[in-house]
Amino acid sequence: MLLPLLILLIALCVALGGWAAWFVVKDRAVILNQLWGGAVVEGVLIAQAITAAIRGATGGGPSDPLLFWGYMATALVILPVAAAWAFAERTKWSSVVLLVAALTVAFLDFRLWQIWTGA
Amino acid sequence: MSRPGDAQRGSGRAVAGARSTGAGFGRVLVTVYGVLAFAALGRSSYELATKFTEAPVAYSLSALAALVYVVATVALALGAAPVWRRVAWAAVGVEAVGVLAVGSASLVSRDVFGESTVWSLYGQGYGYVPLVLPFVGLWWLWRTRGPAAHGPRGSDPADGSEETTA
Repeated sequence: MLLPLLILLIALCVALGGWAAWFVVKDRAVILNQLWGGAVVEGVLIAQAITAAIRGATGGGPSDPLLFWGYMATALVILPVAAAWAFAERTKWSSVVLLVAALTVAFLDFRLWQIWTGA
Repeated sequence: MSRPGDAQRGSGRAVAGARSTGAGFGRVLVTVYGVLAFAALGRSSYELATKFTEAPVAYSLSALAALVYVVATVALALGAAPVWRRVAWAAVGVEAVGVLAVGSASLVSRDVFGESTVWSLYGQGYGYVPLVLPFVGLWWLWRTRGPAAHGPRGSDPADGSEETTA
């Protein structure tokens, strides 16, 4: 895993979560542009998975590959599912769902980094 | 006792009276349940695949917890149907009892189960979410229950035919 990608992803998650939190305060439902934001986060996550797979294939992978890829699979699934689940709800609660999803992905990415570095 | 939404009750919804458990605030509840289900399922699969024999009791408990979270997530998401509502009550109830029982047991003796589980120390490893969630779930199921559960107003929720013409 590359440190710049980790920092970028967590920053994007915080930004998306902040956007969603603002919508909760404004009593608004999730809008399509926020889902595009989620897609950007997902893109960075996929980039992380690819770089991690390349590092792993060349011998520089995590000390516990099963644990790492288990977390990675969970992180990859959360945003698409949460986005669909949130978008079907047309109240402010959909914004809370997006907020929860963004924070969860940020946390999972932090855990991924810990597992990668063996901390 | 009138709540917003009472007026629309029994007007041809899937279930006369009872509100869906997966809408409104319920959507957030299902999201948190889903995340916990994923976390517990991932942890349990990992434990069962790599080190089950080290602490069979603890890892069986984790597997049971994971299964209950998955059932609760699905049941709450589909909670508009009475059968799923009953499943949700059961699953969330098992969770509440499980986290209190396992949490208390682990408090008395740290390694009573050999290894830690999702429910050990009342779910400390998961930010106490496993402790809070079942009680929020029970409250939400109670709040969205149908009129038949709390008095004479309304008809049998399993029927609902009389109210649709009102």
